[in-house]
Amino acid sequence: MTDASANNSASGKSSLLVQDARTRKRNAVEARFKWYGITAIAIGCVFLILLVTAITFNGSRAFRQTFVTVPVTLDAAAIEAAEASMMKTSQYRKMIEAALLTEVAEANIETDMDAGKLGDMLSSSAPAQMREFVLANPNRIGDTVSFDFLTSSRVDGYLKGRVTRDSLANDKNLDAAHLDLVDQMRDIGMVVKRFNIDFIIGSDASEERPEQAGMGVSILGSLFMMFVVLLLSLPIGVAASIYLEEFAPKSRWTDLIEVNISNLAAVPSIVFGILGVAVFIQIGHLPKSAPLVGGLVLTLMTLPTIIISTRAALKAVPPSIREAALGVGASKMQSVFHHVLPLAMPGILTGTIIGLAQALGETAPLLLIGMVGFIATNYPTGPIDGFLSPNSAMPAQIYEWAKRADPAYYERAWGGIIILLVFLLAMNVIAVILRRRFERRW
Amino acid sequence: MKDIKFSARNVQVYYGTTHAIKDVNVDIADKTVTAFIGPSGCGKSTFLRSLNRMNDTIDICRVEGDILLDGEDIYDKRVDPVQLRAKVGMVFQKPNPFPKSIYDNIAYGPRIHGLAKNKTDLDEIVESSLKRAALWNEVKDRLDAPGTGLSGGQQQRLCIARAVATQPEVLLMDEPCSALDPIATAQVEELIDELRSNFSVVIVTHSMQQAARVSQKTAFFHLGNLVEYGETGQIFTNPVDPRTESYISGRIG
Amino acid sequence: MPFLWILIALIIIASVAFVLGRQRAVQSAGGDSRKLHSLPGFYGWNTAIGAMVPSIVILAVWMIAQPIIVNMSIAPMITSVEASDSATLGLVLSNVTNVSEGLDAAIAAGAITDNEVAALNAETDNIKGLLSQVGKVVGSDITPEILDAARASRDMNATGTLFKTIVVLAAAIAGGAFALTKIRPDLWARNQVETFVRYVLITAASIAILTTIGIVLSLIFNTVKFFGMYSATDFFFGLSWLPRFQGESDLGILPLMWGTVYISIIALLVAVPIGLFAAIYLSEYASKGVRAVAKPALEVLAGIPTIVYGLFALLTVGPLLKSAFGDGGVLGVQWMGSADAAMTAGLVMGIMLIPFVSSLSDDIINAVPQAMRDGSYGLGATKSETIKQVVLPAALPGIVGAVLLAASRAIGETMIVVLGAGAAAQLSLNPFDAMTTVTTRIVAQLTGDTDFASATALVAFALGMTLFVVTLGLNILALYIVRKYREQYE
Repeated sequence: MTDASANNSASGKSSLLVQDARTRKRNAVEARFKWYGITAIAIGCVFLILLVTAITFNGSRAFRQTFVTVPVTLDAAAIEAAEASMMKTSQYRKMIEAALLTEVAEANIETDMDAGKLGDMLSSSAPAQMREFVLANPNRIGDTVSFDFLTSSRVDGYLKGRVTRDSLANDKNLDAAHLDLVDQMRDIGMVVKRFNIDFIIGSDASEERPEQAGMGVSILGSLFMMFVVLLLSLPIGVAASIYLEEFAPKSRWTDLIEVNISNLAAVPSIVFGILGVAVFIQIGHLPKSAPLVGGLVLTLMTLPTIIISTRAALKAVPPSIREAALGVGASKMQSVFHHVLPLAMPGILTGTIIGLAQALGETAPLLLIGMVGFIATNYPTGPIDGFLSPNSAMPAQIYEWAKRADPAYYERAWGGIIILLVFLLAMNVIAVILRRRFERRW
Repeated sequence: MKDIKFSARNVQVYYGTTHAIKDVNVDIADKTVTAFIGPSGCGKSTFLRSLNRMNDTIDICRVEGDILLDGEDIYDKRVDPVQLRAKVGMVFQKPNPFPKSIYDNIAYGPRIHGLAKNKTDLDEIVESSLKRAALWNEVKDRLDAPGTGLSGGQQQRLCIARAVATQPEVLLMDEPCSALDPIATAQVEELIDELRSNFSVVIVTHSMQQAARVSQKTAFFHLGNLVEYGETGQIFTNPVDPRTESYISGRIG
Repeated sequence: MPFLWILIALIIIASVAFVLGRQRAVQSAGGDSRKLHSLPGFYGWNTAIGAMVPSIVILAVWMIAQPIIVNMSIAPMITSVEASDSATLGLVLSNVTNVSEGLDAAIAAGAITDNEVAALNAETDNIKGLLSQVGKVVGSDITPEILDAARASRDMNATGTLFKTIVVLAAAIAGGAFALTKIRPDLWARNQVETFVRYVLITAASIAILTTIGIVLSLIFNTVKFFGMYSATDFFFGLSWLPRFQGESDLGILPLMWGTVYISIIALLVAVPIGLFAAIYLSEYASKGVRAVAKPALEVLAGIPTIVYGLFALLTVGPLLKSAFGDGGVLGVQWMGSADAAMTAGLVMGIMLIPFVSSLSDDIINAVPQAMRDGSYGLGATKSETIKQVVLPAALPGIVGAVLLAASRAIGETMIVVLGAGAAAQLSLNPFDAMTTVTTRIVAQLTGDTDFASATALVAFALGMTLFVVTLGLNILALYIVRKYREQYE
């Protein structure tokens, strides 16, 4: 076999130390290809950074709110008159506005506004806040009490840089003169921007009062739902996994269940919402918008995830453990429940927490069963009420705020996302710790 | 005496902290079959893989000392491993045809190295490579069939043909028959003997009989050391080192 | 809550049964529990199961059967509707149920007493107002006939519930007693308990099947109802989507499908190249350090809820795109009318899908055997040549499967499109136009007070059915391809 190619390889001896033109070209292609990969990773990371920046930049402002301090004299006669009238809050409002005007005058701030116009810088929640205080502390009537009232969202937006004098040109409530006033009030410390706990624990407010809206009630709604999900999906998921992993014979039925589970894991979440509407509300006559129903829907949605991770955890327990148990005369059931399950537990819990985190962030199915944001205005009165009375959930509340086309609500939606992400982060950290702490190498 | 193809001087190979090859010196002749034998884990495969820098693909692997191919250091910074591997082809333990047609399997090397000017050229290379690997007659009618559909022995000969097609100067074979049955093994061994007329062939093998059958030179490795290197006949009939003798007589292994 | 009380009573009975069963077992062995076949606890469990299982089965059957029987017996009272017109009859009966439940709620809330209910007059009293006080909204008018039927149904339900309680508790006691009589030292109590546990496990595993059946039945049932009111041909081939609550709606799915597919394609055009290249880089090139940082970063993207992406689309990406492509934008083109656009939603959905594509592809690329790469490197191929000509072709089926799964995710995604894509159902080619999708319309039609009798609400089920069939088809195909691919290298 002395054909041409053999000669070629003998005669065409090139030095290894010199790259030939073709190799250089190929290496250029190689470098380019590698750069595509780096670019792809970079794009992914840039998006992540952009997202995180957008959330923190826009959302952190929601946690601070502008308050105005007004000492109001709780005049017994005026309060009696207010309580007797039809429009109670408007009477209270008048008292506050008068007090504000006095306070401004005392601070030597000049203004030609009347009390009513001046009061436009206050949140419309102020009268209710004062009335609640009066009803709760009737013994303080007659005293002068210093109230921290929320300012209107426009004033708040001005201090946060969202509202400018130009943007107020067409505003029917507030104008540039108010802002001049606010500047002076801020200088003397009458108007302050500070941390607002009510954003985290408060309830949703009407469309005109973004400054008052909070996540508290919807957080409770989410927690009640998660309780239902945990209570149902963990035992059912574990039972199903034990059967499929340890007992199921290789049969058509088992195959069908397995295919079913992997398909359910990929069914769009909104379809589970439709299932919830039809089965739990239309047929089952369960109360609409109830966290119980939301929990049931999310349970069905997370079950596949939990089953898949639980099976992986069971599979990771080596067969020698099972054989050892069977060897001392335990039944199959005893070997599973006494030995395999405890060993698989950390893995199962990790998977369950991740499934719960997924459920916590889910929105679409909740909208269908009526857990929309604006419902979250009242705290549940007790545990049973918490499960059965209409409520919303964190993501649905965020969606509701995003829909209200008011920049002040956009800010709260971003802020709500921070709260939601804090919950998710906490759950994931717990999952990671569980995994690290109990990870076992066989 | 034939030309020296590879010449290794004071070669050390490390896997992380493990010292896998200790101070190996060896000259490998052109147009000769050289066999590396030794018990498993003795470093013979590691040394083979350092001859075409396949060890580069393993992160923790480090090579020291000089390995010269035709007098040029293959671990020189200026050497592109890609170019080196075109000259020093490799056949692996398990047949690993690509999931492509038989034709494309053979044509893969010539295509990436730009060896064929046109389709006719490529056809010729494919045909001659398959002929050299003694596979042509079995597959000439189904060059479009997937390479993975062949029998184990055929697959391994396909891999040899694939290596031959890039027109290398040296062929490295890492236990090429360990996954094959005796008949296929005999075919591949016969093939190796024929390849000797054009290439320098280095073969790692577990089987002493195989080394005795196909090689002219044999190197015995033990625990990372090159214990003995010489003419195959001499190693098997009259080994100098007692360790070689115990291995050949079956006392260690 | 009589139901809750029944459950509590059952648990008490079962606990008593457990204690009795255990005692009796030990007694029967003369106090020496070693003479028993199983541990004494198993005899206790066995007795408790005997008390619980039959009673719970009876309870479940009763709760399903009672409303059906009540409905069947009050149906003759509805004389205003032809018995053959089952659809209308069904609606009237569901009104009756609503009214009777409302009355129950009103009594519970103290708004009305039992005697006052008997004295209610549909002609003169404002029953609707009364019911809405306790949060029960009844859509149609409450005729005397409906009120009578509601009263009858309340009476029957009250009797039924009473009997239910008696029968169920009696069954529990009888079952427990029977199990107690069976106890003997040589009874294989453990085996019986384990068989029971096994059935519980099987039931749990079958919930997956039940869920699917539930999804399919609820979709089919309501879709058929919808097609009774609206022609299927118009639904599947209609070019216009214009729901009106007064009726005469145009409910053609094609504009929605167009938006769905268009947005999904944009998303895949973003996600597939980026995700695939990221996976290739991570599995073939990246050093350990880079991998340790980049992989979790991408996974974080996967863990973020879709509502966050939706807000990102609505408030960040949309305005950004508009400032580039909109009127008075940087590029000087006027392609974009509003920030809501197919492009906005598609782009953000693409970002969401990057980690999905990359982690699936990563698994698949890693499944290609190292021997394949070695063979290529051994011939002197560069890394990129090896990837492009050996690894990717070998991984192709798996990657196709991953892309199909990503497509199914994109089609079923809701919150991003609800917030980012707009609401205009139009057949436009311009990616910067607002479009709408199947999922957004399901949300729009089913949110709020849903009247399950109108075509505008029921169309959501037909949309859901279409969505379910399409995504299920994609999933099954993808899972099949991926499974076949895995088998090839196992």
